[in-house]
Amino acid sequence: MMTDTFAQTAPFTILFLPLLGMLVIAVVGPRVHRAASAAIANLAVLGAFALTVALALDVWHRPPSDQVLTVTYPPAWAAHQQFWAHIPPLTVSFELRIDGLSLAWMLIVTGVGFLIHLYSVGYMLDSRWYRTFFAYMNLFIFAMLLLVMAGNFLWLLVGWGGVGLASYLLIGFDMHRPAAVAAARKALIMNVIGDVGIMLAMFLLFAHFGSLSYKEIFANVTAAGTPALNWIGIWLLLGAVAKSAQLPLHTWLPDAMEGPTPVSALIHAATMVTAGVYLVARAHPIYDHAPAAAQAVAVVGCATAFFAATIGCVQYDIKRVLAYSTMSQIGYMVLAVGVGAYAAGTFHFITHAFFKALLFMAAGIIIHNLGGEQDIRNMGGLARRLPFAFWAFLVGTLALCGVFPFSGFFSKDAILDQLLVLHHPVLWAFGTATAALTAYYMFRLLFMTFFTGGFRGKAQTHAGTVASMSVPVALLIGLALVGGWIVVPGHDGLTPLLRAAFADTGTMAALDHFSGIVSLAALGAGLVGFVAAYLLYERPSGLRPTLRRSLQPVRNLLANAYYVDATYHWLFEVPVLTLASDIARYLDPEAVAGGAAAVARTATAAGDAVRLWEAGYVRRYGLSMLVGVVIVLALFLYLAGGTAALGGR
Amino acid sequence: MQIPPVADYLIVAAALFVVGVVGFLVRRNPITMLMAIELMWNAGNLAFAAFARSFGDMSGQVFVFIVITVAAAEAAIALAIVVMVFRRRRDADVDDISVMRG
Amino acid sequence: MSFLFWLCAVIAILTGIGVVASRHPVHSVVGLIVNFSALAVLFLTLSGEFLAMIQIIIYAGAILVLFLFVIAILTAGNRAVESAPSRLEFQAVPSIVAGLAALTLLAAGIRETRPAAAITSPPPEGFGLVATFGRSLLTTNLFAFEVTGFVLLVAVIGVIVMAGRPAVRS
Repeated sequence: MMTDTFAQTAPFTILFLPLLGMLVIAVVGPRVHRAASAAIANLAVLGAFALTVALALDVWHRPPSDQVLTVTYPPAWAAHQQFWAHIPPLTVSFELRIDGLSLAWMLIVTGVGFLIHLYSVGYMLDSRWYRTFFAYMNLFIFAMLLLVMAGNFLWLLVGWGGVGLASYLLIGFDMHRPAAVAAARKALIMNVIGDVGIMLAMFLLFAHFGSLSYKEIFANVTAAGTPALNWIGIWLLLGAVAKSAQLPLHTWLPDAMEGPTPVSALIHAATMVTAGVYLVARAHPIYDHAPAAAQAVAVVGCATAFFAATIGCVQYDIKRVLAYSTMSQIGYMVLAVGVGAYAAGTFHFITHAFFKALLFMAAGIIIHNLGGEQDIRNMGGLARRLPFAFWAFLVGTLALCGVFPFSGFFSKDAILDQLLVLHHPVLWAFGTATAALTAYYMFRLLFMTFFTGGFRGKAQTHAGTVASMSVPVALLIGLALVGGWIVVPGHDGLTPLLRAAFADTGTMAALDHFSGIVSLAALGAGLVGFVAAYLLYERPSGLRPTLRRSLQPVRNLLANAYYVDATYHWLFEVPVLTLASDIARYLDPEAVAGGAAAVARTATAAGDAVRLWEAGYVRRYGLSMLVGVVIVLALFLYLAGGTAALGGR
Repeated sequence: MQIPPVADYLIVAAALFVVGVVGFLVRRNPITMLMAIELMWNAGNLAFAAFARSFGDMSGQVFVFIVITVAAAEAAIALAIVVMVFRRRRDADVDDISVMRG
Repeated sequence: MSFLFWLCAVIAILTGIGVVASRHPVHSVVGLIVNFSALAVLFLTLSGEFLAMIQIIIYAGAILVLFLFVIAILTAGNRAVESAPSRLEFQAVPSIVAGLAALTLLAAGIRETRPAAAITSPPPEGFGLVATFGRSLLTTNLFAFEVTGFVLLVAVIGVIVMAGRPAVRS
């Protein structure tokens, strides 16, 4: 009974602690020292993390049949159950679902989230809006927790929109920079496209199931036919594509790097952008019965993984390279959940959160020390100047490239292995090729930043690395190193934790398969990429200029990210802007302004006429009265039939 | 004894009233305007008296008496105001006394 | 009778026009005296002896003397009012036109509603005599009489307050 009470109350506490933190900062923040605001934000997330750990231990020590908790407020045993929305036949209660899947996400969101909060304490010290930043960060944690803890699609959408809002606020955090504001707007618009997709899916779900609750929908998912489930899956995919920056709605993520680096680490690498993966995994009963939609998910993920990696090969902004890398890695995850390898996707999400947050934080240390410099052409030789950042970046790179025994090796191999197990050789080939590209762009980034001759930048400012920044980085170095060891050949520690959440799926294979061919192919691909980067950037030879010349068209294509932004510009912006400017040039002066001027002229003339009568002179008022009397007299005579009298008798 | 019809009296009264109205509207000297107002009062009085005779009812004549009294009071107050205005400014034109205009 | 009526009517209207048309206020007052006298005769034709009396005594005697005093006090030595052109354009002609329109409509209305039949019946016993007038004033119309007295009181107080104020020149 005691544990039951805990399991019933802990989810709400976890969920609302960050919201409480935000509210407290908003209310008392301006009256206390800025450090107090940071402490409140950190403690709120740390408290949520501690409770999540306790809740996870509690849940995972139960028998597998008891590992899916549905928590509603007010509690189900309450005599008069109140609903948050009761529009017959739709009834929506405030319902949270705690199982292995949501717990995995909650642990990462609060755990990595806390580390990034800690990192921000030092990183954001120079910001004018220090307190606001932490309030927004806590808001994001709350919205993200609501997204992954929601027990029905309505609350999922609330969290989904909430993270979009927090993302918008934090990308545009430096609101005095137009680029940041534009990027924030772009992210918001793209995300709203996804929100619409989820809403359409919700409409279809309600039409077919009469409910939005996971429990009720998933219990009889086969009640709706395959075509309906396919459509639901497609619309959900639209939401996932927008949120997770997959093709073709990916263009907001590189721009989102305008936000502060901790934001990039937390929202645009570790947590929010993986919400699409979570959504597909959460809706797995639908995708299991919607083969076409699942196929689409896998193809989108694979395409994104490959194309984002190619674009990353030619970028010069350190955060943009990492952003394309994030898109590529999330492509892996989407690919995994698309083919039904939900555990593998979740696994990669966990390790990716570790090493990508680590990479962003290391990049943040560099940017912080170089006074905001982000262009790797202005870096170089930083290995000696910033050794801590270098080692952190190296570990992150090795993990990302899937080098044994770093965490990325296990998770990426799990995905690639599952692709072959589930008979998707083409997708596997693309995945392996992407591994080579990954190694190439990451080592290119590493070489250009830390080696390749000496420092190429201008005078550098040494801001130093405060403890609040280095401690979380050090912790993440460890996690990026050992985080994958939960799944090693012969022992799969993750799948049993998720088993209860995916009890109704048939494709849940164990992750400890590890065929040698897959691992060797991936490692070989990575080695190819490494050697290419090494030859081009570390060995001065005639190779690079030659290649650069011959591959110029390809470079242009990649540097412009396949002209997707330009296409959108010509498809959507130009027609609208042309229409607007035409209206401004022709319609507006003639019709609108002309009409307005005519109205103004009429009003002026009427005013002039009236002004004669309302001049403030008593004689004028008298004349007005007389005219009124004449009118009334004429009217009176006319009504009395006295018109004949006017003509005389 | 035959007297003209009431309609004739009323037409004379209407003519006097209109003369008074037009005088009030055209003139700018406040004293002349007050006299125009007196003309209007008297036009009304004539109509009252004509109707009183026509109906054989004394109330009409009593009202003429009351109107004369009120007209006297009005003339006294209005002239006092005119005197005050003239004291303030030498050449009082009604159109100049428009400080109360909205 | 009819001749007397029309004579007095024409005199009244012509002097009325003279009142509003003359340039000097004193001429207006003279015109007004003649006008009031003509009106007193008209009251007499209507069997209003008492009315004709107070018309002469109060109007032509008291009120117009008051006007004359004011004119004498104020306009002596002053620049004539209305020497400068009017600032109000579009006032005089529309006023006259509107006035003529009103007169036309009134005449039409009078002709329409009241047939031009001469009054032939004699007035009731004591009609218009002072005794009848006083009885009516103190019985039937007592309230109006008292209110009129109150109005006069207010007017007296008002005039004292305004005229008693020290002169302020701007």
